[in-house]
Amino acid sequence: MTEKKNNRYVTLLLTLLLSMVVGAIFMFALGFKPFEAYVQLFKGAFLGKVNLGTTLQKFVPVLLTGVGFAVASKVGCFNAGIEGELYLGAITAAWAGHYLPKMPAPIHILICLVLAMIVGALWAAIPAILKVKWDVNEICVCILSTYIAKYFTSWLCNGPLSAKTGMPQTPAVHENIMLTQIMKPSQANTGLFLAVIIVVAVIWLLYRSTLGYKFLTVGLNSSHADYMGINSKKVVIQGMMLSGALGGIAGTIEVLGVYGYFLDNFSLNIANDGMLSSMIVWNDIRLVPLMSFFVAALKSGALSMERFAGVPRSIVDTITAIFIIFATMETLFNLKKKKKKEKVTTVSSEEGGKK
Amino acid sequence: MNDVFNITLIYATIRSATPILFAALCATVTQQADILNIGTEGIMLTSAFVAVLTSFTTGSWLLAIVLAIVSGIAIALIMAVANIKYNAHICAAGIAVNMFALAITKFGLKQFLGTAGTFTSPEIKEIPRIHIAALDNIPILNDIFNNWCVTEVFGIVMVVILWFLLFKTVWGLRVRCVGRLPMAAETAGISVRRMKYEVMIISGVLGGLAGAHLSLGYSQMFADNITNGRGFMGVAAMNFGGMNPIFVWLGTLIFGFIDSVGARLQAYGLPSQFILMLPYFFTITILVLAMWRKGRLSEKAKSAL
Repeated sequence: MTEKKNNRYVTLLLTLLLSMVVGAIFMFALGFKPFEAYVQLFKGAFLGKVNLGTTLQKFVPVLLTGVGFAVASKVGCFNAGIEGELYLGAITAAWAGHYLPKMPAPIHILICLVLAMIVGALWAAIPAILKVKWDVNEICVCILSTYIAKYFTSWLCNGPLSAKTGMPQTPAVHENIMLTQIMKPSQANTGLFLAVIIVVAVIWLLYRSTLGYKFLTVGLNSSHADYMGINSKKVVIQGMMLSGALGGIAGTIEVLGVYGYFLDNFSLNIANDGMLSSMIVWNDIRLVPLMSFFVAALKSGALSMERFAGVPRSIVDTITAIFIIFATMETLFNLKKKKKKEKVTTVSSEEGGKK
Repeated sequence: MNDVFNITLIYATIRSATPILFAALCATVTQQADILNIGTEGIMLTSAFVAVLTSFTTGSWLLAIVLAIVSGIAIALIMAVANIKYNAHICAAGIAVNMFALAITKFGLKQFLGTAGTFTSPEIKEIPRIHIAALDNIPILNDIFNNWCVTEVFGIVMVVILWFLLFKTVWGLRVRCVGRLPMAAETAGISVRRMKYEVMIISGVLGGLAGAHLSLGYSQMFADNITNGRGFMGVAAMNFGGMNPIFVWLGTLIFGFIDSVGARLQAYGLPSQFILMLPYFFTITILVLAMWRKGRLSEKAKSAL
């Protein structure tokens, strides 16, 4: 087990290096200075209070959505719809934060969180139910339902819930429930600690509780789980609902910590970053925090890279995407074992890849 | 109601269906070999960008289509190599490729065309339309058959070609055999890997056409994420049609119909967000119905044994 673990770290590092080299070649070919770009990227992510604060602020939703994606993958689902759950959770929190009567801040925040979690979980249950009942591919449903969620929230904040200020946004939530800013003037907030607590709780739930044991058993082999008396269909739905709830929390923290209201189309694919930081580490939930911090740093460093090295910001996304393509290739760095296994895997790899 | 349901709706349906049709064919050909092509969206997006870029810089729509196809093949091959050679889960590879396409087109838009968000220019040479002068004065036929885009005609031709390839040739039989039972195919002397690569390349061609048509035929522009889930609608249509190109085409026509009716309903005061939501909602519904029917059929087949 430990050997396998070490192997993973080595592979991760090799993949990282490979994609950075590919990125550098790419930049060089287009006439940029790759080294300078990487230096600026690092500086923009970590040096200075504002930069570090921005990294931390971006880290929170990426972490939560990343862990959410990883949880769903534990029961064998690709929850590509966390973006939708994030949107719906965010607008629920914005609604609860403004329209509910004033009450002590901790209770109010808790209510916002719980409502957002419920909405996110219910939205994520739809693809899960369709998957277990009729074997509908969950990725398709997730992606398509995300568009529905986006348009629905857009209608809400332009119509019934509009603040009527001319901007497509909901009215601001009560001042007292806004999460406290840490590291001003950046937008980092106490949502960071909240997210860390929640992630620790989820990891505990997965590896130390009965429910988590069920999740892992179903994810490994659902027929075996059924044989042991675990209702695998129910567990898949529960897994997706937990994943959706995490998306809802991410949305809540964005609203209560950063914006203070729901802004139409605010997230710009945050959940995509979460998804890829989970996929890069093969959905190993204990590595997700590390990777999502890395991705958040890339995101926040990209701006200063564009400013000081003249490289368009979107190259960072391109490099992370290259990273993820390499990372999905399970056997890319299995050079040693390859020859031994070659004959055995010819058939099995084809079967393994057929899903 | 006459503004909504009139004779021009027929052409409007075909117009909105064609980008989805190519995407659906792209998913169909791989699904026959049991590869779920989630990356359709990414293939389409990349080639849509390449098509606009080439058309804008060289002024040739034909070259644009060719290069779009080449880029489509390139993206499909990334997925194929990841999946077949390096054992990546096909869904993971698909998602990865989609993200890659989203990022690289955004980057390319900034780097080569100097804008962000949307690019449109009169210098983009679009795919020509077939104007039949003889139909000009015949009212109904003119509305239905005149001024089709070349790729719209080609899409329907492609349905027939693909159907013939898959169901009437040895190659198609082999592809379907690989999809049904790879082990049996291997025993029969078919190289499963080779077949899968071939299928992926063809899906790259079709996805490339889908992208080129989307950005040069359906519209004359490129925008971030211009595909807007059309690749996934294609996958849904593929499921609806049960991997048979003819039925897949009918499925895309339903989507096209809903899309064009929705666009016309906008005049009746429905909030635009609901209109925009409509195609996605119906896609999910149709997908579920298709899978429900499939499940029932397979249950029936089981109980008949």
